[in-house]
Formats: sequence, structure tokens, C-alpha cells
Amino acid sequence: MIEVKKISKNYGRKKILDDVSFTANKGEVTCLIGINGVGKTTTLKAIMGLTPYKGEILIDDQKMTKDSYEKITFIPDAPTMLPQMTIKQAMVFMSDFYTSWNPERANQLMGFFKLKEENRISELSKGNTAKLNLMLGLSLDVDYVLMDEPFSGIDMFSREQIADVFASHLIEDRGVIITTHEIGDIEHLIDKVILLDNGSVLKEFNTEEMREEEGKSVVDVMREVYQS
Amino acid sequence: MMRYIKLVNFEINRFSKIYLSLLLITLVSQFAGVIIVTKSLLKDARDIMKEERLSEAAYITNYGSLDFNHIANTLLFVGPIALSAVALIFYIFLIWYRDWFGKNTFIYRLLMVPTSRLSIYLSKATAIFLMVLGLIAFQIIILPMQNALFNSNVPEALLNEMSISTITIANPILSLIIPSTFTQFLISYGAGLMIMSILFTSIMFERSFRIKGIIMGLLYCGIAAVLFLAPFFVMGFGNFHFYPNELFGLLLAIGIILTGLSVWLGAWLLKNRVTV
Repeated sequence: MIEVKKISKNYGRKKILDDVSFTANKGEVTCLIGINGVGKTTTLKAIMGLTPYKGEILIDDQKMTKDSYEKITFIPDAPTMLPQMTIKQAMVFMSDFYTSWNPERANQLMGFFKLKEENRISELSKGNTAKLNLMLGLSLDVDYVLMDEPFSGIDMFSREQIADVFASHLIEDRGVIITTHEIGDIEHLIDKVILLDNGSVLKEFNTEEMREEEGKSVVDVMREVYQS
Repeated sequence: MMRYIKLVNFEINRFSKIYLSLLLITLVSQFAGVIIVTKSLLKDARDIMKEERLSEAAYITNYGSLDFNHIANTLLFVGPIALSAVALIFYIFLIWYRDWFGKNTFIYRLLMVPTSRLSIYLSKATAIFLMVLGLIAFQIIILPMQNALFNSNVPEALLNEMSISTITIANPILSLIIPSTFTQFLISYGAGLMIMSILFTSIMFERSFRIKGIIMGLLYCGIAAVLFLAPFFVMGFGNFHFYPNELFGLLLAIGIILTGLSVWLGAWLLKNRVTV
């Protein structure tokens, strides 16, 4: 379980996160939702140790260490491999540095996304870059996957392919934290929603319970919370 | 340890094209320098001998013999050394900033490699240090060849044949990069390592605290410089004198402390304060 306990973060005088707390379980998809600038990406970076913060974050009851990167991976919305690399070289880099790299799964995802090993990263479209990021992240045998806006700025067909991955066995055992605006593509796959505003948690709910008890979808709750 | 070695290899590979270009420029420029300057020296000598109707022996008496120092002080010879030095100093900054500001934000991937941040810091420092040593080794390999080429092109009567050690001692730049004693090696390369670690740490300050970090980085450089030069200030302003051995020992001790402190602080900032 990922436990985010009262984390706060300032950029200069601006408060980005203010006592944010939530948990994300293995085998569940947790979605961080909020308008731009509410601290969704910063929360993911804090979990990954990519930005300093006040508070505490535990992964399976332990603080983040170098070995945690074999257990948890982050898929940002920007390419993270060198532009001059080919996809093959990016895969070699991952297998060189991560013992959790799973080459069979990588090949499976390469085929699914129709990516070619010889393609240079700088020449990939936005959609293929997102698919590459996803392929590199999901080919690690990790317990938790953090995804930042995986659907941002990509075409409908690529979005559908990525959503298919969410529904597949590639995700099911893992704990996923995702930030997205494109809620429609994966609404049916989300287990838990954290609504953020001004760096604070506005509302936290289980999607199934919300549907069953109040008859509301995620989008209904978002409208209710953000338009009130 | 394996990941550290892989990271060093990765960093060297990333700079390999520019690095090989520097080696090629050095090779071509210095050998061209040997050929062109030797021809020019011989032409001048022959012109003078012809004009003043001097024998070779008389020319040597009046104008001196021709030695490799004439080559080693030319722009074609020293230029590529200076260019390589400037490139590597520039690379101290580039090796970090390209990961943040490149077309792709590779720093995400680099900081998520399952190894300590100290390994990441040290791998970049090691890559630069190895590249410096590689350039020096290359110079040490080609220098005897250049000397042999020069000696074979100059008539024996006009030639003052110099050994490699005499050439390196006589030329201030070569004596700096190719130390003739272990003490000189410690001074040249120890100072280089110390300066690199201080600059790395200043970069970490900037990456951690941005605009405030620039001021902190500059302050850190200033404080480090004052600390390192403190024995000279003590001698200059106080009524105190250190013997050369004492001064060397003091500078060595301060240098080791500053380098260690800079590496520790830089790695700490990279682990705890740097923001991607």
C-alpha cells in the first residue's frame, strides 16, 4: 500500500500541496483528479522522491529508498529517454539498470502498441511517445505504477489502445495511481478517486460505492464538487 | 557497484562523439603544426643563412638551434589543448543541465535508476575525470611521435634534439597537464578534482533552490576559494611563514576536506533537495 500522510509542498511562497493524505492499494486504480496546477503531478513526484516535501510517504510500510525503484515506477507525460536513442537502446538501458525488467512483457507490449525497435525516440509522434513510456514502465515487474496524464494530447485511437492496456492483465495485480483529465476513457476501470483543489484533498470516494449508493458517476461528482 | 560502472560507461558514451572530435582535432592540428611550423622554421633559417651568408654552425651561434619548443609554443599545438580544456570545463555544466533541459527530460529516468544518488553524482564526476585522463594519455602517446617527426625533418646540424621529459618541463602548458613528479600530479589533478566537485555542488544548489540556489552556489564557490587560499592569506596578512612542505601539506589537507565536503553536500542535495 502507498500511504501519503499529510504532505505539504511550497514553490516559493505558493502552496502547491497542503496536508494531502490518501492511500492507494495494490490491485486498485486510484485516480487523482483536479484542474491544472492543483498539485497532481507534484504528488506523484513526491511519492517517487523527485521533489522534496514535508510529511511522510510510505510504500508497503517503508520509506522510499533506492531499492524502491524496483517496486514502483513513474510514467510521466514527457519522454524520459534520450531523443537520439532507438527504442531498442531504451530497452537495453532498462534491462541494464533494472533487475525487475521483464523482456517478454516488453516484447508483448511492443507488439500490442505496434512499436518498432529501430525507431528513434526523437522521431516518434506524441501518441507513440506515450505508448513507449507506458511500455517501458509496464515492462518492469513492479507492484505500483504511477502515471501522469497518459492520455494528454494524443489521438482517439492511441487513447483506446492505452485504455485497453488498463483493462488487461498487465495492470490487474498492481497498484496504480493515475492523474488524468480524460476521465471518460477509463472511468469504468477506476476504483478510487481523490479530488484535489488548491493543493488539498476535496473529496475521496470509492467509485463503485458512489455508483451503488448515490447513483453518481465520477463525472457527476466532479461537476458537483468543482462547479459548486 | 555494477550500476555505477554502467552509469560511467553510459555517460562516456553520451559524450563520445564530441570527445572523439576533440581527439581528432588535437591529432590533426598538432601534427599539422609540426609539419607546417618545421617547414616555416627551416625556410626562415635558410633565408637568413642565404642573406647573411652564414654557415649552419654560424647560424646556430647567432640564432640558436631548432628545437621542439618552437613547435610546442605555437597556436596549432597549444590551441587544441586549450579547446579540449574549455570543452571539458563546459561539460562540467552540460553533463547535468542537458538532463533537465534537453528535448527529453532524461533526469526523470536517471533519478529513478535503482542506485544511490551518490553513485549518479560520482558517475558523472568519474566520466569527466576519465575523459581528462584519456586526453592526457592521448597527448603522452602522440608527443613522442611528433618529436620524432620534427627530429627527422630538421637537418642534424640545426637540430637541438630534446627528450620528452625536457619538452614537458620546458613548456608551461605541457608541464601542467603532464606532471613530472607525483607531487605535481597531486597538485594538478587534485586541484582539478576539487574544482569540479565544488562546481558540481554549486550546480546542485541551483537545481535545488533555483534563483536562490545561484546565490548559494556562488557563495559556496567563494567560501571554498577563501578556505583553500587561507594559508596564503595567513602568510600575507599575518606575520607568519610556512615552509614549502608545510604549505603543501596544508593545501593538500584543505583540498581533501573541501573535495570530500563538496561530494557529500552535492550528493545530499541530489538525494534530498533537488526538484525535477
